[in-house]
Amino acid sequence: MSFIPGLGIAKGMSLTLRRFFAPKATIQYPETAPDVAVRFRGRLQLLYDELGNLKCETCFQCAAACPVECIDMGGFDTRGRFHVHWGAPEQYAERREESALRRSGRPVPDTEYSHFAAVDTAAVDSILAKYDFDHSQMLAILESIQRAYGYLPVAAIKRVSQVSGAPYALIYGTATYYRHLRFEKPGHTVAVCFCTACLIAGSSRVAGKIAGELGTQIGRGPGPVGIVLEQLPAHAPGASSPLVTLDGKPQRVTEAAAAAWARGVAGRTVA
Amino acid sequence: MTSASPRRPDVRGLINASIRFAKTFPREFWGRLSVPERVAFLLVPLAMGAAIVTVIAIFWLGGPVVDFLGANLPLVRFAVAGTAILLLTVPTAFVLIYLELKVIARMNLRVGPNRVGPWGAAMSVIHGLKVLTKEDFAPTGADITIFTLAPVVTYMASVMTLLVIPFAPGLIGQDLNVGLLYFFAMGGLTVVGLLMAGWSSFNKYSLLGGLRSAAQIISYEIPLTLSVVGVILLAGTMSMNRIVLAQSGSAFDWFVFKQPLAWIIFFIAATAEANRTPFDMTEADSEIVAGFATEYSGMRFGFFFFAEYVNVFIVSALAATLFFGGWTAPFNWPWTYNLNWFHPLEMGFGPWLAIVAFVLVVAPQILGILVMLFGRGWTYVQASVLGALFTLVAVVGLVALAGFIAFDWVQGLFWFMFKTYVFVVTFVWMRATLPRVRVDQLMGFAWKWLLPASLVNLFVTATAVVLLNR
Repeated sequence: MSFIPGLGIAKGMSLTLRRFFAPKATIQYPETAPDVAVRFRGRLQLLYDELGNLKCETCFQCAAACPVECIDMGGFDTRGRFHVHWGAPEQYAERREESALRRSGRPVPDTEYSHFAAVDTAAVDSILAKYDFDHSQMLAILESIQRAYGYLPVAAIKRVSQVSGAPYALIYGTATYYRHLRFEKPGHTVAVCFCTACLIAGSSRVAGKIAGELGTQIGRGPGPVGIVLEQLPAHAPGASSPLVTLDGKPQRVTEAAAAAWARGVAGRTVA
Repeated sequence: MTSASPRRPDVRGLINASIRFAKTFPREFWGRLSVPERVAFLLVPLAMGAAIVTVIAIFWLGGPVVDFLGANLPLVRFAVAGTAILLLTVPTAFVLIYLELKVIARMNLRVGPNRVGPWGAAMSVIHGLKVLTKEDFAPTGADITIFTLAPVVTYMASVMTLLVIPFAPGLIGQDLNVGLLYFFAMGGLTVVGLLMAGWSSFNKYSLLGGLRSAAQIISYEIPLTLSVVGVILLAGTMSMNRIVLAQSGSAFDWFVFKQPLAWIIFFIAATAEANRTPFDMTEADSEIVAGFATEYSGMRFGFFFFAEYVNVFIVSALAATLFFGGWTAPFNWPWTYNLNWFHPLEMGFGPWLAIVAFVLVVAPQILGILVMLFGRGWTYVQASVLGALFTLVAVVGLVALAGFIAFDWVQGLFWFMFKTYVFVVTFVWMRATLPRVRVDQLMGFAWKWLLPASLVNLFVTATAVVLLNR
């Protein structure tokens, strides 16, 4: 390589100039949330302090938060007195409940684990036979199960694990990674439009009231009454603002009546 | 028992209601306003009143005042130039700081300031206000007098150089025949300010920082000045205005083509002179404590900060003036139309009224209706406000265009500012790109390379001038 004075500077300057026009990496956090996987918890890593001691205090918070219960640990408590171990599997649910309570101040329902209803697994068996009990076809298997049942019943996943030999955590991980797979029975969907006209007409306040009544938020999945709150991708032509739809059908919801309307929808769904 | 019959209006009740309304409304109205709205609510009528009073005063007292000012033109020129330049520097610094924040952010794949004002444009103003509200602190044992004077000296040294910079034909504070000498003399005063700051802080690190900046700036001042001597030889004058005139014509008459080596030396030395990356050892903010400004806080620090950005502007302006033709257009500008058919003072009342009505009422309404037609769901009030804003932009643009066509000083100012800001952006661009050099590299480069190169350039230029003029 020939040495030309200033070539490096020119290269660097051209790089920064190209960066000037490149798309930006910034995410305006409170307004837009970053698009990360549902189960993303950051990078799990054991850290050491400057003396070479493990910084883990064996507080079990990570084990409590782990959705697939794959974290198991043992160690001494912070004063070095007791040898502690993350408890037996039957203790998981209540300990998780307890730590979740401690962190958030409210109980966090974990419908996938606390309870699951038995379903007829004949369809699962035939699907598995069709795929030759092959783990590597897991996504296709899960999609077929969702087509058969309308959602992924926990009993069906347990059955898949039992018959095919794939670890339950693996299947659960696959199922939670893909957003089109769902564990809940599809209930009603309430969608609010956020186009400029609707925003001016107060659709964000309407959405806030509805979210309060339904106990969920946009992008959080179904709340305790099983209703999903979504954002409409586009304003339906000819509909009045603020536009609220129930299962795709435009509803007449004013800002003042939003809370009452949401209560009505919640009651109707439960009944 | 007062029962208001429907036939007889309840006058007393109405009066009471009005009184209650008059009593409660101001407080409610005031409470509903945000802080900026309150400030605007107080200031806008004041500003409007001041404007009306000024207009009336001009109409009543205009003649005698103009006569008096005309009789003392040099005095007026000095006062106006001094005030204008002082007033110019702070907004310039604000613009440059904002430019730097935004451009470097974009080059780092960030967005940069985007919260205060449109696209974050008020960010640097808010910075300035923040600095203004901070505690004015002086360390124990500091020499308070010199400690206080140091930022003033630094800032004034930067500001005073603006006096001889020709912004446009006729738009120059004072066309000294030793303008360039004055420029470098004033620029050299900056070092005094920095040394004063370092010495008076009663802090050995400040003193070391001050000495370090002094060493750097003085070292680079020599090649900077020597590189400019070639330009002086070619132009045959040290008056900045005549240096610009010596380059008039087209872009090929610029001195950068006759003095390419001098331009390279000038640019490198000017970068060091303005304490810009890669030569910003003075306050290498990511590596050392703030150097001479370690003990400074509040607006005193702010003045150092402003002086730095004013320096960037000045150095860019000097580069544009000496090597890139100053306010002259890069090609022979084909049109300088005379707009003499437009006599604003002789139009009479009717056309004036028509123009005012058009600008204030008709144009906003037309644009507002267009906004309502083509925008989505704007209400009438919103559309009217938007229409008024569009009208304002259009009127300002039209006035600027008319000025550009009709007046050579508007043209000159445009070209001067354009060239200057090209260099300002280049400085910012360099800061986003280049890493900092080491102190020994910095000094070695100045003395071993730049100084000999500038001497060679000077010698060659002088020889060529002598040979060609014979």
